[in-house]
Amino acid sequence: MLKVCNDWPREAFTDELVSGKYWNDFSVNAKAAAAELWRVPDMLEARRKLEELIESLAVKKVVAVGGGELPALDYLYDELAKRTELYTDKFDIARQAPQADLGISVAEFGVGETGSVCVDTYAFESRVVGMLPPVHVVFLDPAYMVRDVETAFEVIEKVFKSGYMGFITGPSRTADIERVLSLGVHGPSRFIIMAVEQGLERQVH
Amino acid sequence: MAAGKLRYEHEEHEQRNLHKEIKVKLKDGVMRDALSRFVNEYPAARLKAYDNVVSIDRLRDDLRDMKEWTVDHIDEVADEFEASIKARGGHFFRAKDGDEVKEILLKICEQEQVRRIVKSKSMATEEIHLNQALEEKGLHVRETDLGEWMLSVAGQKPSHMVMPAIHLNREQCAGFFSEELHEDVPSDIPYMIHTARRVLREEFLSADMGITGANFGIAENGAIGLVTNEGNARLVTTMPRIHVVILGYEKLIPKVRDAAKILRLLPRNGTCQRMTSYMTMVDGPTPVIYEKDGQLVEEERKQYVILLDNGRLRAAADPKLKQVYQCVRCASCLNVCPIWTLVGGHVYGHIYSGGIGAILTGLLNNMESFSQFSDLCIGCRKCMTICPGKVPIPDLIDELRSRYVKEHGLGLPEKTAFRHILTHRKVFHTLLRMGALAQKPVESGGFIRHLPLFFAGMTKGRSLPAIAARPFRDRTEELFRENPEKPVLRAAFFSGCNMDFVFPGTGESVVKVLQDLNIEVIYPEQQSCCGKPVLGTGDRETAKIIARQNIEAFEETKADIIVSACPTCAETLEKTYVELFADDPEWSERAKAFGAKVREFTSFVAECYRQAGRLMPTAGTEKVTYHDSCHIRRGLGVYKEPRELLKAAPGVDFVEMKDCDKCCGMAGAFGVKYSEISLPMLKEKVNNIKASGADTVAVACPACLMQLRGGLDQQAPDIRVRHIADILAENIAAGHSQAESM
Repeated sequence: MLKVCNDWPREAFTDELVSGKYWNDFSVNAKAAAAELWRVPDMLEARRKLEELIESLAVKKVVAVGGGELPALDYLYDELAKRTELYTDKFDIARQAPQADLGISVAEFGVGETGSVCVDTYAFESRVVGMLPPVHVVFLDPAYMVRDVETAFEVIEKVFKSGYMGFITGPSRTADIERVLSLGVHGPSRFIIMAVEQGLERQVH
Repeated sequence: MAAGKLRYEHEEHEQRNLHKEIKVKLKDGVMRDALSRFVNEYPAARLKAYDNVVSIDRLRDDLRDMKEWTVDHIDEVADEFEASIKARGGHFFRAKDGDEVKEILLKICEQEQVRRIVKSKSMATEEIHLNQALEEKGLHVRETDLGEWMLSVAGQKPSHMVMPAIHLNREQCAGFFSEELHEDVPSDIPYMIHTARRVLREEFLSADMGITGANFGIAENGAIGLVTNEGNARLVTTMPRIHVVILGYEKLIPKVRDAAKILRLLPRNGTCQRMTSYMTMVDGPTPVIYEKDGQLVEEERKQYVILLDNGRLRAAADPKLKQVYQCVRCASCLNVCPIWTLVGGHVYGHIYSGGIGAILTGLLNNMESFSQFSDLCIGCRKCMTICPGKVPIPDLIDELRSRYVKEHGLGLPEKTAFRHILTHRKVFHTLLRMGALAQKPVESGGFIRHLPLFFAGMTKGRSLPAIAARPFRDRTEELFRENPEKPVLRAAFFSGCNMDFVFPGTGESVVKVLQDLNIEVIYPEQQSCCGKPVLGTGDRETAKIIARQNIEAFEETKADIIVSACPTCAETLEKTYVELFADDPEWSERAKAFGAKVREFTSFVAECYRQAGRLMPTAGTEKVTYHDSCHIRRGLGVYKEPRELLKAAPGVDFVEMKDCDKCCGMAGAFGVKYSEISLPMLKEKVNNIKASGADTVAVACPACLMQLRGGLDQQAPDIRVRHIADILAENIAAGHSQAESM
């Protein structure tokens, strides 16, 4: 899948800038922005949580990216596909995303100051899975956190030469009618961060 | 189609009846409720968003410095941005005005066979009325920001840059929904949101072209940044096969990391969030999958970037006006503006509203429409305390106004009043004395209403002070007999018109307080109005004549200091005179020497009292609160000292009131010219004073004294308004003098 950077940890992260110690700030701010935070020990538990979600929302169709670079995710998608329609091919995603109930993707790192996750969405399919379905689950390694927006951009500037990327901070929202907060106006009304403690082992092509 | 039913409340070039428009807005209960609720909640919500930031001021300085550097290098930065876009395969255009943008865009639409367009909010395209032009050519154009979409359906302009539809309630919104969709849409907010999602989703999926603005454009790599909560910008830049960016020069920033400087402030000030839901950066053409001839294909999206001038480059080259580049369009200046919060955004005309809107209108639209509402800035400077880019909004309005007046001149009544009366002290003062003889304020009309405000007819909701039978200048001989024999200082007193002719008793108090400090006080008879009312209209030439007269009058006295108990006068004498003569070497020196001697009364006295050990807080029973005048708090930065003086005054139990530094609505000529706005401001102030439980409200400004006295007289006659000088003088008379306390 096309990305701004194929290996953020190696090319953009340094121990000085990126550390799990900002997790607490991140979690407070992400929740304040109405993101749901699911911290799980490993992929097995992540899978269980997703199966529950699929069950409870009666999800019929899932569009998912990130499997190509993360073998553990690839395996997870195979397992989920046994329960629901699940599409990972970019053309399938383009065709199915408008009707999909759930989108799954991967974030590169979190920002403590704001509770944002940084997403590398150079590929068309990685954007639509996060925008068109009403629920978006994003996988995140909780060890990959930066302190604030300033440090986030110190990381970003190392690799952002072209493409499409940014932050997502909670679900799509509007307050345009009487300043009443309403979720899910154009994008998802639920934004779930699946933080896998074990990490997301990467396979770089 | 939206353009077909555009019914803007006024067109830009027509002569407007602003008072009528204001009256309509003041009667709009829906809007008033929405704005007053918002205004009450905004300051605390904003601060909460900054809770986890060490220094807001440091962030503001960083942003300002970065923007300052950029505007000073705007050509290089724009060239680099252009090169970056082109290097990535984007198409790049520069447009000198709206017509050029439309020409470029229509050509693109024709070449690319575009029929359907979705837009994510862009003020620049509203500025040039792009939608109308596209729709006239038969193109289907949809705004996708919910508020903007509702307004386009309603044929209204946004009343706020961030919350475009804040003036509407849910019933009105439901009406626009029903009208547009030809179905009955109930005024249920979740239902409406869901409906908007359904309808606009179709638009995203079927559009050929997406048009966005940009919150920033990065020269280093050609990326543009978009900040939204709804996510519409993400869809507009993802679904259609063509992306057009229309951005102004002021959005350019040099480096990737500079984006952080905007992003740490813009969401917090704009929507009280630490970050908006979506912050999207698009750098060059990106892949798009769409149906072509019945088949899905993946291609590189075509990207067209149009950099819009429309007055911006002229501003960039202007040493003063270039500061407008520091604006990041967060609109927080509106959220704290006492005028906007009463009348909403529509009366400002054009597209950009509030104080910053006046400036942008003048720079980007035309000076004629600017001139029609430029005096809707009360000059309270509240916006300057929170603006992320530290744009000196009132100063820039002042600058534009004076340039307009220089070019077009003042209207005849003002011209007569200022040129022929204010510059001739004797004529002016004779007129004031005649006003006193008449024992009632001269009715408004003709030139007289443009004279210092106590002449005007403004009785509703407040009483007017009478002009004193004996002005201060006739009382000096007696007073100065009490001057100390061996003074430590010689102070020349600048009374200002108000203290001279309306509150001469307060002038006497000032003298007594100074004499009590063993200071000799003198009163140069040749002094006149400080010139502020003239400056307020933009007539700097007349102001210079007055300034020279005053400087000369005080130079002769060889006084050590010049004391003024009117902060507006003090600020004018100390700061504005120096700015007025910036290009005149001789007078510049004289104005600086003169300004260096000026001391605002309360801060000067507090300093003396501190040295004398007289600033010890005392416990009293009379509840006294303090109203900060705009010019003393934000013009001179003085707010601790008046409070210290009150807390140390025997018998005083000091209490704070809500919004103690919010303008009382007087602000010189404003309170007269726009009494319909001034009075609600006064009413709010009176309510806050009452709620504080105070028996007395103290002020350090005679204009506020006049306004508050008038308001309380009618609405809360038991509460007294007193200048701090009067409180201090009374204590001295009661025996609490320096000698005794030592």
